Amino acid sequence: MAALLAGAEQAVLNLFLTIFVTAFLGAGVRRPFVFVLAYAYIDIVAPQKVTWGFLAHVPVSLIAFICAVLAWLVAEDKNGIRFSPRQFVLLILLIYCGLTTRTADFPEEALEKWGWVWKALVFAMFLPLTLRTRLRIEAMVLIMVLSVGVIVIGGGIKTLGGGGGYGELKLLVNDNQGLYEGSIISTVAVCVMPLALWLARFGTIFKPGWLVWLFAMGICLSCLLMPVGTQARTGLICIGVLGVLMLRSSKRRLTYIGVIAALSIVALPLLPQSFTDRMSTIGNHQSDQSASTRVAVWAWTIEFAKTHPFGGGFCAYLQNRVSYDKINSENAGDNNTAIQTERIEEKGRAYHSSYFEMLGEQGYPGLGLWLLLHIMGVIHMEVIRRRYAKNPPPELAWVTPLADALQQAQIVYLFGGAFVGIAFQPFCYMLVGLQCGLSAYIGRVKRSTPALFRAVRPVAVSRTGAAA
Amino acid sequence: MIDIFTVVVPHVLMAIAVWRLIHSDDLDRDPILPATESTFARARRGFRGGRGSANGGPAGGSGAGGA
Repeated sequence: MAALLAGAEQAVLNLFLTIFVTAFLGAGVRRPFVFVLAYAYIDIVAPQKVTWGFLAHVPVSLIAFICAVLAWLVAEDKNGIRFSPRQFVLLILLIYCGLTTRTADFPEEALEKWGWVWKALVFAMFLPLTLRTRLRIEAMVLIMVLSVGVIVIGGGIKTLGGGGGYGELKLLVNDNQGLYEGSIISTVAVCVMPLALWLARFGTIFKPGWLVWLFAMGICLSCLLMPVGTQARTGLICIGVLGVLMLRSSKRRLTYIGVIAALSIVALPLLPQSFTDRMSTIGNHQSDQSASTRVAVWAWTIEFAKTHPFGGGFCAYLQNRVSYDKINSENAGDNNTAIQTERIEEKGRAYHSSYFEMLGEQGYPGLGLWLLLHIMGVIHMEVIRRRYAKNPPPELAWVTPLADALQQAQIVYLFGGAFVGIAFQPFCYMLVGLQCGLSAYIGRVKRSTPALFRAVRPVAVSRTGAAA
Repeated sequence: MIDIFTVVVPHVLMAIAVWRLIHSDDLDRDPILPATESTFARARRGFRGGRGSANGGPAGGSGAGGA
């Protein structure tokens, strides 16, 4: 009976998602930009993985990608678009990755990874060209948040119901890859929180109201529960980083600290023991095999880069062989602790860090380009958030908070990425594309309507009503 | 059941969002930027205008291009 119900549930999901994806792509025929949104949705949710029918046998992601690019080439307005320095960095990174793939140590595996990496990089370059209006920027943020919501809402509910645990939380797709992997979704979920809050404050598709705030809070709670449900230590670090960044942006810092402290006091006793036990290993990696493996792989990567300064190509980690001592401590009674050292040997272990992923696979030039891309992003967002922080024209009041949210998401990603190999995670490149799109939009506004910045500001300062 | 809920709620919201987007002029023309138009859109408008003329309606489009 249970199997029958599960089968019926899967069939309903299958039909629902097939209709949705078809309708989404169909809407692109009417408004070409919708193809861009459809591609972002498909890349994040991967509906072809959720279903077993039509979608599973059709390359929907590639179809959406081709439709988005072709529709832009044929039907979109290209007046005033410019290729920004960060898009050039992306282009160089794309070419460089292509070259390392040709000389990769594991050609077949490298080619397989290249198959999705090039799309993520090209889309990040392409996205800013399409984000010509404020509504498009908002729509992209909304689709990204809701798409991640598809994964995290269920994860959050299951965590609340006690279905969590390290490697045990059953998400929509149970393949432990991409955004459906525990540490990655924990990091991405925390990245999404500032964007969800921005939408609740400045959304125009769904205008701010109690229902919108309720949903945004629900998404944020689900995001916060992901590290608990997956017991990914990376997620806890990301939450801490976001907490500090939000304190920086908060206007009422004391109130913020008070609220966070009160929520922490309420939430801590409710956390499962297995979660607090696992989080306590953050400071003592030698007693935890997973953390010890990371440190050993990082040491191997540094040595590998000495002989392969240009990287070993995608999946170069497959050749690693690491060994380390794991320290086991057990209570031996009478206040004594028995300490045993166990020699662990492993091979072909993943990098567990975006920085070492770049170093091992793309060498020092690749790591340099990747760091340049993200450091430039943090700086650009800082410039924008400061420039329009005080007395912005009413039409641009949303700019500083969005730059702030995008910067927070990126810094969370950079911290989380230190412990997860997500250097080429497509979602993170969508964030980069959004940042470039925002910068380009601001540039266009400044070039085309400089009067907006000169004339409206005094009006806004004097509070004499809406600007003309 | 949880999987159905987690799929349906965001998807319904996305469907509403896309519905609103395809009916919004602001998707292609930003209110604070000068209106510009792609060649494709101009051609499509011209085609519609031509059809309108054949039916006795006003021929050609209004000056929506370059401000």
